[in-house]
This record gives sequence, structure tokens and C-alpha cells, in this order.
Amino acid sequence: MTENKNRCVVTGLGLVSAIGNTVAESWKNAVAGVSGIKNATSVATEGCYATLGAEVSADDLDGVPEAESMDRVSKLCVKAAGEAVRDAGLNLADEDARRVGVIMGSCVGGVISIEHYYREGEQAEDVTKMPISAIANAVAHTYGAGGVVTNVANACAAGTISIAYACDLIRAGVGDVFIAGGADAFASVPYAGFISLHALDAMPCSPFNRCSGITLGEGSGALIVESYEHAVKRGAKIYCEILGNGVSSDAHHITAPRPDGEGQMNAIRRALASSGLKPADITYINAHGTGTAKNDEAEFLSLHTIFDETNDNLSVSSTKAMVGHCLGAAGAIEAVFTVKALTEDTVPPTVGYTAEDLERLKERAGKIDFRPNRSRKKTLTHVMSNSFAFGGNNASIVFSKTPGDVSLPAKKQKVYITGLGIVSPAGNGVENYLASVNAGALPASPSVSATVGHEDYDACGLKMAFYRKLDAFSQLQAVSGMEALADASLTVTDENATDIGIVVGTSDGPISTVCDFQKDIVAKGNAAGSAFKFPNTVYNAAGGYLSICSGIKGYNVTVTNGTQSGISSIAYGVNILREGQEKVVLATGTDENSEIIESLYRKLGYVADSVHGAYDGDTGFVLSGGSITLVLESGENVAARNATPYAEVLGYGMTSAGLPFGQVSGSEGAMADAIRLACEDAGISLSDIDAVAGFANGQKAVDEMEIAAYRAVFGDEKLATLPLYHVKDTVGECRAAGAALAASHAACLLVGKLTGEQKAYRVTNGKVEAVKVDPKNHRYILVTSYAAGGSTCAVVLGKA
Amino acid sequence: MNETVKTIAERIKVLLNENLGIDADVLTDDIPLFGDEIGLDSIDSLEIIGFIDDEWGVQMTGVGKEHFYNVTSLAEYVAAHKD
Repeated sequence: MTENKNRCVVTGLGLVSAIGNTVAESWKNAVAGVSGIKNATSVATEGCYATLGAEVSADDLDGVPEAESMDRVSKLCVKAAGEAVRDAGLNLADEDARRVGVIMGSCVGGVISIEHYYREGEQAEDVTKMPISAIANAVAHTYGAGGVVTNVANACAAGTISIAYACDLIRAGVGDVFIAGGADAFASVPYAGFISLHALDAMPCSPFNRCSGITLGEGSGALIVESYEHAVKRGAKIYCEILGNGVSSDAHHITAPRPDGEGQMNAIRRALASSGLKPADITYINAHGTGTAKNDEAEFLSLHTIFDETNDNLSVSSTKAMVGHCLGAAGAIEAVFTVKALTEDTVPPTVGYTAEDLERLKERAGKIDFRPNRSRKKTLTHVMSNSFAFGGNNASIVFSKTPGDVSLPAKKQKVYITGLGIVSPAGNGVENYLASVNAGALPASPSVSATVGHEDYDACGLKMAFYRKLDAFSQLQAVSGMEALADASLTVTDENATDIGIVVGTSDGPISTVCDFQKDIVAKGNAAGSAFKFPNTVYNAAGGYLSICSGIKGYNVTVTNGTQSGISSIAYGVNILREGQEKVVLATGTDENSEIIESLYRKLGYVADSVHGAYDGDTGFVLSGGSITLVLESGENVAARNATPYAEVLGYGMTSAGLPFGQVSGSEGAMADAIRLACEDAGISLSDIDAVAGFANGQKAVDEMEIAAYRAVFGDEKLATLPLYHVKDTVGECRAAGAALAASHAACLLVGKLTGEQKAYRVTNGKVEAVKVDPKNHRYILVTSYAAGGSTCAVVLGKA
Repeated sequence: MNETVKTIAERIKVLLNENLGIDADVLTDDIPLFGDEIGLDSIDSLEIIGFIDDEWGVQMTGVGKEHFYNVTSLAEYVAAHKD
């Protein structure tokens, strides 16, 4: 049985959907089979062959605190999160804020603000509402969460992975309480995109039935995911346990699932195994059930293959027939329905079957009760929710009335960095980057970017038929990922493909492609969206393409919360490896620069007038882009294949100051605590740190926050001895890529690839000076990063 | 290839490069667009239909796939059907 310390429970629920503005209202309608699908009113449908949507009608969205600073997606999320917090009886003011986190999933983020930006004169106030990063930040800021705050951006699997990650963090001892879930708003970008793919049904979607397309929905689901011991201690009402989860990638196609269901089945089997359950134990599955022929065919196959032989008591339904496909919110909304189904012993239906349809269903259902049209009272024990996304990402999670048998390895795996892929404005490939550093290279202008070309594609074995489909963001990621695998001398084979995972970290993701797509449809109408561009508008496209070109079939997630995403991806990877979920994880930081990105940052006044480095006290920075991939590998795998590590990843810490999105000043306390937590996790004291690879970029607010945090943690005496290395002097502010590059730079210092006198900074009594440092005696290097909105991350690397 | 077809073919190459990411240096008049090297698929053919309609007002929805074979066949179809 799961030990109490590893038990995660649900103590609160929040929901806003097309069939209700609360959990109670939505559930009542779901049980009654009420559909929220109607003619869409919030997007222009002229000339479009499908005009339906499942839109939320809530008149209190503008009543959430600071609503004027939020996109509709954040308002939906804050509303659902508020219901969940109240339902859980949580008084967050009484909690240790560092132990309370927010993990939110989204597919398209603040695209309504992107449309508003291009229709209404490109106002700066819309820019900070655009990225997915703003969503979890809004929840943390509103309710006072100060622990791990991030967003999972894995398209239609995002909501499920968010809840899974919250559980993994609780079991890793990182937090006690998480507000987890997801949100997406009905908007022109997804609507025109699915129109362009001919993937919308002209009728209400009909999962496991007509299967002629999806109907888009919107909403938000939020769960309070809490450690069992914490819930008991505060006397909380417990809905149910959350057992294991499984995340996998298809390595097949950017939009279509594998027809053989392999990736889906890998996720389901992982979820069962990590729960300590067998297929016969599952009594209800809230299916992905989108209503497209490709999804539903693959899902029929997966469910029949896994469950037919041993399970005579399985019910399956798709609540999307009532609330539509809510994309990044889907997994979260369906998790709420799944928990309600379990606790109310009621299977909600898949609506929309005619008498003729029911006859046809009999042939396809076999022993499985696909629960058409009417809900059913039934004793439920262990239940599952599945989500399968663009990018070939699959996720499955198990809820239960009993503690199950979730077991973690007795000994946590050590984690090493064994390969690096560097795509930067200072050169592609580790050696070219190091040569630029040693030559004292500077960015060529205040707006620079990494580029990839034929030489890189040839070196990585990438063919034009593949890379031509990728936008620049995904191209950077594909090249740095393949480079990193080669640098680690790792070959992906049929045998090890599921042992390797991918964690992409990004600040702004493919926002340039989203804006480009949006501009097109603003000009030409929603019937004229580009089917070529649309698949690249999802943040996890880059991770999906990397899975396809490398053959990696393990864990696949994209995390986004500002610049620090480039090292919080490392922290995520460490968690996966320590718990033995994978043997290898590619942890990345990727952000592109483009004409559109530059225009957005210029709108905020953040692009410097001239090239400058750290601590120059400017209002702007050198805007840049690139992609960095670090191969993280478990100690056992390193030993088994006799790999040579760059460095060991000893520990991490993640916190949030819960500031308004866009603000950095005021993060110093959170940054200081992240550093303390990282050292604690690494099992070293603050005095052991020999150097810092930091995040200063020459923008006054960022640089001052950094120094204030170090002074608070180390004190002036220790700080005066600490070299601070700043990669942005060489490559500019390439956001998540900059954070991941700082970690790579530190690894190169530790392994002796950067030797002799190296450029660094020292802070003496608050005064910064440039110095030259010989890194040969460094044993422990601290890597730090920040985010607009106050999220911070620190990682400790040690000599291997 | 007459001058009209040649001019249309050159424009199609630019559009294929801009809209479908096909490297300009491999894009000859006769390279098969749906072959291994370029690897167009059904989504890409929707894009071709879209930009040919936008550029020349020629509808290619439902047109036989032999007209999509290469740049020349596309250009010849456009030349024969444009106003």
C-alpha cells in the first residue's frame, strides 16, 4: 500500500465550463446529459463550414481581482482556482507559502489578447497578457502561492500533466499543496486553425460515434492537490486519492496520433503500473474522445487492447460531447468530472447517439460500456482520465477511493549532465560557443538571434522533408536536441526509446508563429487560416518534433514560466530521473528572436539601444534567441554505458514571489529562498558554493534584484569571494535559452572545458566589478534564473 | 515552356519557399513535390490551393493530383485556367 508520505489527495474542486459556472452546476448538467454546444458567438464564423462552440457564459469573470490586467484565459483560471481554494477550506494566509504551488495547463494561452493587439492598434498593455506564462502567475498572485509556479503547455494533454506534475512534486517533498489544472478560452486562433485542418465537426461533436471532428470549448478546471499528511493535519475533507500517472510521446506525427495506439497505451500502462494496479481494477475511464476519426479509432484500439482481456466492468465516456474540446483545460475539466464520477458513483454519459448509432456502437463497444446518452449509477473504485495531444503527447492519470500501491525507489537516482546541444548567436555546437567565450565575443547588435542552416541539419541527419514543416522555434529546438544526443554519444533505439524523455522549457514559445497566424486571419478572416502554420502554434510542437526526429518515446512535457523555464526544465528532469521514471531526459531552454518577437519586446521598451552587458543599469537588454539542450542521465545509466559526465546536478529550488505578471522587482526574497532550497536539496551548505552562473542582463530591475538576492543569502563577506559568470554578455537575453546556457556554461567550467582566466563579476559591499577568474578549483556552481512575475529557480551543479 | 508558364513557375517557387519552407536551392521546375526529398502531404496541398487562388484566382480544389506533380505542372495548369 502507498505509504502515507507518498499519498496525494484531492481536497478541492473548481470548474467553469459551457455547462456550468461551478462544479455543482456543471456536474448536475453532465449527469443529466445537457450539452453546452451552441452556435459560437465570440468568434467570427462567416465563410466557415463549422460554426458551433461550447462557450462559457459567466458574467462575473471581470469581477476577479485585477481582471483588467488579464486575458480571458487567466480570468477563467482564477475563477475556477478560487472555487477550488474555497471548496478545500484552505486559508492560504495560514500556510507556508513556499510549500504552496500552482501548476496550470494551457494550449493557446492569451490568444484573445493577441487578436485584440492586432485589431486595436498594437497596444503595449496586451503584450503581457499574451503568453501562457501569465496564467499560473495570475493564480499565484491572486491567492498567494509562493512555491513552484509554472505552466504545462502540452496542448490537449496539458491539464492532465499539470495534475501529474503536482503529485510528483508532492511525492518529491517539494510542496504540500498545489492548485493544479488548466484553462483555455474560445478564440479565433484555435477556431480558424481547426477549420483549416478540416478537423471541426459541422454538427455537435460525436465522440466514439460519428467521429467527424471536434467541437471547440472553453473553460477551466482546478483541483487542490494536497499531500495526504497535510490534508489530515488541517482536517480537510478528502475527495479521493490521486495514484500514479503516465506520460509518453508518439514519435510519429505533429497532429495525428499513432494509428496503432502505441503511445496512448504506453501512457495508460505507465499510469497503471505506477499506481500498483492492473487493467481489471479500473471501473471508469474519462476518455480523450475528441470525436475525430483518427483519435477515436486509435483510442478504441488502445482501450480494447489493454482492457478487453481482463476487465468485464469498465465504463468509458467522453464528456467533450457536452463541454466541447477545451484543449489545455480539457484534462483538468475532465479530471474534475472524473473525481465527481468516483465520489458520486455515477458515470456521466457521452451524449448524441441516435437509435441507429446505438446499434452501431454495440458492434464497436465489445465488453466496454461506452455509456451513451444517459448517466449510470455504478460503484466506482479506481478511475482514470486520459488526454492525448498534438505533438504526439499522451497522458493518463488514476484517481481512487483507496491509497493504491504507489511506490517510489528506495534510493533516489543521482543525475548527471552527459551531453550539451548549443544553438546560440555566439555559435552552434559546444566548441564554437566556447571559442566565442574565449575570444570575448559580444552580441553583434541589440537584437540578435541564433540561426540554423544546412550545415546543422546535415550534421544532425535532418532532411528537408522534415525540417521545412517546422517554424524557427521548433527548428532551433530540433537542432540543439539532436546535437545534445550526439554530444552524449547516445543513440535512440527501439530498446531505449521509452527510457528517454524530453522537458522543453520556454518563456515565449512559438508566440511569433501564433502572432503570424493571427495577423493572417485578422486580414483574411477565420476561414483563411493556414493549415501549414497552425500545428506550429502550440507550445509543445518543438518537443513533439524533437520526439519525431529523434525517435524518443518517453516522457514529454513543455514548461513555460518566463526566463527561468530554461533551468526549471532541469529541475523537472531531475524529478523524473530521481524517481526512476526515465533513464535519460533532454532538458532544454528554447526561445527564438524574430521580427515579431522584437516588435513585442520593443513595445514594452525592453530592447536596449546599444549592445551592453551585465550591470550596465539600462532599461533594456540585448534581445536574443537560441536553444540549449542538456542531456540529463541517471547515475545507473551513466555507469552502465560508461558515459563521461560534464557535471552532476545536485539539487534545485523553485519559488515564486507572486508578483503581478511583468514585474521583476520584489523577487529577491523568493530568489534567495530558491537558492537556500537548492543547496538544501543538494546536501551542501551555502558556504560550499564556489561560483554563480547568474541571470544579469544589463536591465537595471533584473540586475538589482539578482544582487539583492545574493546579498541576502550569502552576506557581503561571502559574496565578495564569489565569481558571478554571465553568459548574456556573450549571447544577449535569450530568455529560457539563456538560463539553460548558464547551466551549460557552469557544466563546462566544472569539467574543465573552460580553463584559464575567465571573465566574471564580483560584488563587494554592493559594488560590482568585472574580474578574471581561474575556475580550476570550482566544485559547486549555483545556477540561477528569474521570471517576470516573480518565479525563480536555482540549480546546484557539482564536479562529477 | 513558354514565357507565361515560366513567369508563373518562378512565382510558384517563391510561394512554395515562403509558404511551405522548401529550400529555394533544391526547388527546380521538375523535382517531384510529393517525393521523398520535399515530401509534401495533403495539408501542404491545401496551402498550394490557397495561394494559387489568392495569386491567380484559379481554383484547384478537387483537381487531379497529376497537376500537383511539380512546379511545371502547377504552372501549366494555372496558365491554362487563369483569366
